[in-house]
Amino acid sequence: MTDALVLQGVTKRFGTFTAVDDLSLRVPTGCIYGFLGQNGAGKTTTIRMVMSIFHQDSGTISVLGHNNAVEVKDRLGYLPEEKGLYKKMKTAEIVAYFGKLKGMDTSTANEKAKTLLTQYGLGDWLDKKCEAMSKGMGQKVQILGTIIHEPDLVILDEPFSGLDPVNRDVMRDTILQMKREGRTVIFSTHVMEQAEQLCDAAMMIHKGKLAFDGTISEIKAGHDFGIRIAFDGDGEALKQLPGLSRINNQGRSAEIFLKDGTSPQAALRWLMDHVELRSFDYGEPSLHEVFVNTVETHNAAHATVEAN
Amino acid sequence: MASKKLLVAQREFVENVRTKTFWIGILAVPVILVISIGAGWVLEQFRETKTYAVVDYSDIGLARRIEQQARLGDLKAMGKLTGAIAESLSDDDEIPEETAEKLHRAWLDLPASEMEQMLEDDPGGFQDARRFNLIRLSELELDHLEPEEQARELTKLVEDDKLFAYFTIGANPIVNADGFAYVSSNYTDDKLRKWYDSAATRVIQSMRIRDAKIARDVAERIKQPIRFKKRKDDGTGTGKTEEVTIGDTANKYAPVAFVYLLWIAVFTAAQMLLTNTVEEKSNRIIEVLLSSCSPGELMSGKIWGIAATGMTMVGSWIGFALLGVWVAPMLIPSLDLPLMEIIGDPLYLISFAAYFLFGYLLYAAMLVAIGSVCNSLKEAQNLMQPVVILLIIPLISMIFIVQEPNGLVAKVMSYIPLFTPFTMMNRAGGPPEVYEYVITGILLVVSVWIAFKAAGKIFRIGVLMTGNPPKLMQILGWLRAK
Repeated sequence: MTDALVLQGVTKRFGTFTAVDDLSLRVPTGCIYGFLGQNGAGKTTTIRMVMSIFHQDSGTISVLGHNNAVEVKDRLGYLPEEKGLYKKMKTAEIVAYFGKLKGMDTSTANEKAKTLLTQYGLGDWLDKKCEAMSKGMGQKVQILGTIIHEPDLVILDEPFSGLDPVNRDVMRDTILQMKREGRTVIFSTHVMEQAEQLCDAAMMIHKGKLAFDGTISEIKAGHDFGIRIAFDGDGEALKQLPGLSRINNQGRSAEIFLKDGTSPQAALRWLMDHVELRSFDYGEPSLHEVFVNTVETHNAAHATVEAN
Repeated sequence: MASKKLLVAQREFVENVRTKTFWIGILAVPVILVISIGAGWVLEQFRETKTYAVVDYSDIGLARRIEQQARLGDLKAMGKLTGAIAESLSDDDEIPEETAEKLHRAWLDLPASEMEQMLEDDPGGFQDARRFNLIRLSELELDHLEPEEQARELTKLVEDDKLFAYFTIGANPIVNADGFAYVSSNYTDDKLRKWYDSAATRVIQSMRIRDAKIARDVAERIKQPIRFKKRKDDGTGTGKTEEVTIGDTANKYAPVAFVYLLWIAVFTAAQMLLTNTVEEKSNRIIEVLLSSCSPGELMSGKIWGIAATGMTMVGSWIGFALLGVWVAPMLIPSLDLPLMEIIGDPLYLISFAAYFLFGYLLYAAMLVAIGSVCNSLKEAQNLMQPVVILLIIPLISMIFIVQEPNGLVAKVMSYIPLFTPFTMMNRAGGPPEVYEYVITGILLVVSVWIAFKAAGKIFRIGVLMTGNPPKLMQILGWLRAK
């Protein structure tokens, strides 16, 4: 199977600032792929280059087997991070307009827009102007505008931001549906739980450079196993755990990493004595842990370089 | 599959044209035009009658004679109506006060519609009678006082707004102009004073002539002013001349109206484009659009879409003008026809449409570039200032160029592409030489092309920028980049 997207040695500079630095990666066809990274890491710049909104200064980008992304522009779907609609346009019109811009003929686009909107529970809103809609509805309209032309590769930049739980589920189902239909979905996020739940594979970009990439299990491999607990009681007490290396305390749940040679069994016994445990799970680390760990390692390395 | 440029253009066009505000805006122009023409007339109808009194220091009853003289226009018209005394009345004749009074009052009592009909030839007289009303000193119970006392009392009345004004007539008008005064608390409305001035001048001039024992016909001859009659070549090639009509003058001034409309059209359309670009940029829809089409397609799609919107606006105005030409003479048969012919002149209409298109395209390219580097409308309006200042120049020079359509200023401005559409339209009454149309036309088209290229370069980069607008040097850098 060919890869939906291949980047090789891609670099993009804005003046003296290097936004993306020698980035190489492969996104296999038909998977859900996460672009991870902090704000300003270079995710959006990478996406914009893939969409040929920007052009890279060096390196090659191959999209759907074409070296020139412009050639396959109509087979791509893109939902930018900051989402806007024409306020004065009717919902059905704007969805159809996006479809037409992607090369659909007028009647097909009009029909499809109505079908999609109805399917997504906006059947009563076909003739209403976008300005009358709530934010969640607006986002639905935007995602429909992104997928109306049945793209082979869909890129969603922070698709979950600003969505309530119900709409978040709608978005998740839409992404899964696209995968079932054989499309490739790339989405960027800095919420690791979403990536962990949805992605088959992912990459992380840090300060313009690739930090890691691969399937989720590949990414987690080589990282320390951790203990995930849910508890009631004083979370501060957890810091006293003998053999503790690091802890991500979320208040009523926590992820705990032990020093080499410390037994998880011993930790469990200690925890049972000190907090009201509701669950205990020992296994591979969360993507969140890998992410935070990677950022810290990189920053530490960077600080060392600076110091020298 | 329609081209993406066309799709963008179509969307812009439909979005603007289907709004009510767009059509209200279009309709507003002819409505405002009609209102501004009609407003003067309407306001005149609401003008209040000015009351005045006269203190006469002369002991020869001058006030009465001036009053008669001032009302002579009315009386002549009245006389024409009765057919009895019209011809016999001359400027110097005295009419028995009683008769004059009766005629005057009878006149004032006539319904306005009848008066208008009677006074087709001399509406001036009719208006005077209506506008100014003499309050006699006897009515104010001041007739028993000395003139100085009268003046003091009248000043109080003027101060209290019970009287609009009063005049004092000097003691010795045949010898000098001492003691003539006009007292009013309104310093801006001079109509009453001028009207009374001219009547008094006529009366006193006659008295002085008689006093100097100058024969009446001699005096008339001396008083006769010199007027150079406006004439022009009659176009037969024989060197003969004919009188210049109001229509001829209107013809020369007609371009002003077209320049003004052109200006409104260019400004409105360019502004529409700017607002639109900033909106797309600030709500980030631009990114979705750019994932589907190139910046070039997007930019020219927008420009042409709004061009079509502007042409709809201009076309509607031309439609209104033609409708006006067709309907107006039916409503008002006496309407001055030459003016109507000018409005319907295809030379004006076609060049109006063409100059709108190219003028718009030139300014559109500038504004779309400005819009693309701004994140908010406020920023855009600040950056737009220089363009607005440029646009004001053809407005300021409008009347000057109409008066000197082939002067140096007009010619120089014609060759500056930013002013070409306005200036050439402005000079249409001249008219300019054919070669001027050709050269300035070529210059304009070339400038539009260059402006599009430059705007494309700025738009491509600017439209995705966020944060502070770029510095001028930075923009120049983009222009140099390939």
